[in-house]
Amino acid sequence: MIVLIMLWFLATSATGMIPEGRFPSPQATIAALSHVQFRGYAGGVLTEHVLNSLRLVLMGFVVAIATGVPLGLLMGWNRTAEALINPIFLIVRPIPPLAWIPLAILWLGLGDAAKIMVIWFAAFVPSVINSYAGVRNIEKPTLEAAAMLGTPRWRFIREVMLPAASPMIFTGLRLSLQASWTTLVAAELVGAFYGLGRVLNVAQQDLYPGMILVGMIAVAILGWATTKALGIFEARALNWNQAAVLAGK
Amino acid sequence: MGVIRFDNVGRIFGAKSNPFVALKDIELQVDDKEFVAIVGPSGCGKTTCLRLVAGFDFPSSGSVLVDDQPIRRPGPERAVVFQQFALFPWKTVRQNIDLGLRNQKVAKSERDERTDSILQLMNLATYADHFPHQLSGGMQQRVAIARAYVLDPDVLLMDEPFGALDAQTRVVMQEELVRLARRNPRTVLFITHAVEEAVYLADRVVIMTRAPGCIKEILDVRSIRESENWDSHEKIEDVMDLESFVHLRTHIWRSLREEKAAATA
Repeated sequence: MIVLIMLWFLATSATGMIPEGRFPSPQATIAALSHVQFRGYAGGVLTEHVLNSLRLVLMGFVVAIATGVPLGLLMGWNRTAEALINPIFLIVRPIPPLAWIPLAILWLGLGDAAKIMVIWFAAFVPSVINSYAGVRNIEKPTLEAAAMLGTPRWRFIREVMLPAASPMIFTGLRLSLQASWTTLVAAELVGAFYGLGRVLNVAQQDLYPGMILVGMIAVAILGWATTKALGIFEARALNWNQAAVLAGK
Repeated sequence: MGVIRFDNVGRIFGAKSNPFVALKDIELQVDDKEFVAIVGPSGCGKTTCLRLVAGFDFPSSGSVLVDDQPIRRPGPERAVVFQQFALFPWKTVRQNIDLGLRNQKVAKSERDERTDSILQLMNLATYADHFPHQLSGGMQQRVAIARAYVLDPDVLLMDEPFGALDAQTRVVMQEELVRLARRNPRTVLFITHAVEEAVYLADRVVIMTRAPGCIKEILDVRSIRESENWDSHEKIEDVMDLESFVHLRTHIWRSLREEKAAATA
């Protein structure tokens, strides 16, 4: 990390190999950071942009997984549900989530609702697909053992199906979270009053490389931190599985 | 009670245009508390027989009855021990064993009592709070046997239960199963391709042939075991050295080999 920053310093302000207009020097980036944090930029200070983006991502993510995971589980568990939902899903799925942005803005305006909707569309798909696959990939003997033990339906869902599918469900959650960030920034780029995407967009119009980099770094840190938080939650929820992976079994 | 009856059972897989006859004309009765082993080459339908009794699969013709009742679904009165153990890796040893009792709505105090006693019996007491992956294969299969036995089933169905274990573990498990079966007899249907295992464990050995799967021969081991007093020998290798054991084993080997020769001819 330190080496990287040194190289960055060397390539920009120290030698001038990369001109300031193309890529900002560390000093310019720090200046931009203090600019946005203390004087405000693109409609707010950095913490406001960050909190707003984070709030939207989490809201979109929660709505997406709260609908996507149950739907995926239902499709994996019930043949009829699978037969009904899968065809619709196959048609809607190839539409890139970002292609929904114009429609979302048309319907819901530039406010939060439109962005949450777009994030929902983007984050929904990985949750559904992985939950569905998680259930479908449960090994047959596991299902047969549960049946042989006379496990009633709800207990089967809670104590057999959910835990058996949970490693895949968490994979879906991780992908959903990534999709949430990607989509949010893109949605804010197109239209927003404030948020990190808005910062990037205004900085681009202002030809302000330092600020662009600040926006990008902020997104990277937030994406990393939220993924990390999810990972910690996963490790707790799947303690039996983590240990199994470590044991190589 | 736990009497299994195969009544002229046939099982055909695949499309009508290209059927595969897995079982044909199976006639077999396993008496209450009898230990019957089915041996045969892979693809002879022995596992299919077990799955029909378990309720995982259903006959295409004829009927499979337990205590004169046709089988409609899997259930705890016909407990299964799987080759790949099929434990729930997210449950501890105790929780794995407890699940079937909870499903039967057994009171907590009785559940604990029964689980404790089976853990003791299977030498698992110190591992009660371990997860399955923390145990060796032999230990895991012990948990699976305990999970089946604790239900006090009429019928115990064992599908090559020791097939995934190494040779030493396998021998120990065979001795333990004999002890368990003598102490707490059950109707057992035991599937294996290991001839020695079948002769050592079973009261009767059923030899199956392939394509179509049908019963070739049924051997009474119990009368020989009793007349030759096998159970006076504690170790499996001592039993396997007995002339009467060797004789039976060789007989089954020949029978299976003839079958193979006929199949390749």
